[in-house]
Amino acid sequence: MAIRRSILNMNGTNFHAALITTARLALVVFALAVAGPGASAAGSALTQLDEQCLACHSTKGMDMKLANGDKLSLYVDGAAFGKSVHNKIGCAVCHASTSFENHPPVKKKSAGSREYSLEMNKVCESCHAPIFKLYDGSIHASLFRDGNSYAPVCTDCHSPHAVMAKSAYDTASGAPCSKCHDPIFQAYAGSVHGKATLGCSECHRAHNVKPAGDQLKGACFSCHPDAQESHQKWLPNAKRHFDAVSCPACHSPEAKRKVDLRLYDNVAQQSVAEKAGVPQFESRARSADKKGAGLDAMALHSLLREFNREGIDNKTTLRGRLEVSDGVDAHKLTRSAQAIRDCAKCHQQGADAFQSVTISIVGPDGRQLRYGAQPEVLNSIISVDSLSGFYAIGGTRIKLLDWLLALAVLGGLSVPIGHMTIRWLFKRYAKKIIGKEDS
Amino acid sequence: MPRIYVHPLPVRIWHWINAFGFIAMIVTGFQIRYIGLIDLMSFRSAVVLHEWIGFVLIGNFFIWLIFYLFTDKIRVYHPELNPMKHFQSSLRQAMFYGYGIFKGDPNPHHVSVYEKFNSMQSMSYQVIMLLLVPLQFWTGVLLWDVKRFSGMIDVLGGVRVVDTAHVLIFIFFSGFIFMHIYLATLGHTRMAHITSMITGYEETPDEHGHAEANKH
Repeated sequence: MAIRRSILNMNGTNFHAALITTARLALVVFALAVAGPGASAAGSALTQLDEQCLACHSTKGMDMKLANGDKLSLYVDGAAFGKSVHNKIGCAVCHASTSFENHPPVKKKSAGSREYSLEMNKVCESCHAPIFKLYDGSIHASLFRDGNSYAPVCTDCHSPHAVMAKSAYDTASGAPCSKCHDPIFQAYAGSVHGKATLGCSECHRAHNVKPAGDQLKGACFSCHPDAQESHQKWLPNAKRHFDAVSCPACHSPEAKRKVDLRLYDNVAQQSVAEKAGVPQFESRARSADKKGAGLDAMALHSLLREFNREGIDNKTTLRGRLEVSDGVDAHKLTRSAQAIRDCAKCHQQGADAFQSVTISIVGPDGRQLRYGAQPEVLNSIISVDSLSGFYAIGGTRIKLLDWLLALAVLGGLSVPIGHMTIRWLFKRYAKKIIGKEDS
Repeated sequence: MPRIYVHPLPVRIWHWINAFGFIAMIVTGFQIRYIGLIDLMSFRSAVVLHEWIGFVLIGNFFIWLIFYLFTDKIRVYHPELNPMKHFQSSLRQAMFYGYGIFKGDPNPHHVSVYEKFNSMQSMSYQVIMLLLVPLQFWTGVLLWDVKRFSGMIDVLGGVRVVDTAHVLIFIFFSGFIFMHIYLATLGHTRMAHITSMITGYEETPDEHGHAEANKH
């Protein structure tokens, strides 16, 4: 709970954190100066005090039973610690509460290993407040705030006694990200990016990890700044495609695609977000979806009416986005030569991209909250109103207009044919009359 | 047979570019909308052709507009302001096409330099040339670059609204083109009106001549 508060109120703790950080760094500098030139020359060598700690803690298998029965490993790999970025600050800076008088602690034990990690997070924050600020805006922190017990905190990604610089990201195993996201890492490892041994953080950032969505497009452009220009050379309406189609939808050619229709505030010019603590989206969607089979065109229309009930008409609209169905597929990016270039893949009726449809709103944690809709919403005449901002030629065409066109062509052909036939019949009829008169 | 010069050169140039252009737009329009069902060319080729021909037709429209705006020939489009008179002559023309023509009655409309259109034509061509064609060009240009014109598209109600308007007019033209070609064959000979749009001269047979031609 304490760590939750500290994350939520980061700004308030900045000053104290900075103060503590400065004091500790001063202490480290002082200790290094006292230790003399020998210690400095050793570089990653540990101090005498640290060696004292390691005298016990380098024993493999050493652990402690916590209140809930969890076993907390007390083993520290001295060599790894010596190479870590924390080697200079030593054991005591992070474990300041430990003293010879209370060590090993017999009275105050952590409730469990998770609780212990959270306690230690406070220590990390005292030196790394700016990083915590980034983390606070991440999807990881959002999950944490939601009470997700698997949401990663510092020590879940950074091995506590072997903290390495970010360049130490393991491209072979994807650690630490692959610890939780292994299926995604496996997909990524086979992708053009994985083969180029880029790290996860190249796109997703290390601490302010963002959920998938439009913001990741910026990450693509940061390495491929000429992408728009090169697409414009061959792709009609290229900029529109960039708005309405996610990069993996074409660059992950084997992926299953779908349409996400996002609630959009036309006045504020941004996606509609669910108000924290006042969830409305799902209840409104469920109430509109009376059959429970996914929103049909009428249900979608009434859902939009619900969102526009108070305030300006058509304030809330839907903006469609073509994307891949899951995160694993999103990471199977190929070389551009293998990307989808065949327009017919999407621009024809029955294209697989339009067989799966969701309606979504931005959730309190920044992720999209989705509700299923029936694919027919994309082809219904009602959608001219409710789905005015999304249209893919051919693929989402309105069926009623197809019938009208058939009628027009049929009429255009049958009227002249009918007229010609009547003219011919009249001529024949007239001849008979004339013939009778002659006889 | 007496001849009247009813189609000046700019009008003929405009007409034939427009005729072939619209046929090409309808064909590529079908291809764009029904890829998979019709496979005359790739989707992209159809889109690129549709865009280029569209811009040619927009330029061509201005040949028509400038010619009529700056010459006295604009009188051929002058509307009949008396609704009763207009209704009566339209009804007479409709009766001719719907019944009289079968019996070999003469066409109630007599072509002259400033009255080359019958009442039905003058009304429908005004709607087509001053409303439907510009609307089709406008919606087409908006759809040509949706991002560039996103502000205007939003004002009009969104890309699907603009596209629906474009498709509705496309549907009209897809039906109209057959009627137009057929009506063009209803001169005193099958090729009379079509030839006049090439030479500029419309033959004006007397009532007897016309009736004779219709009997053949």
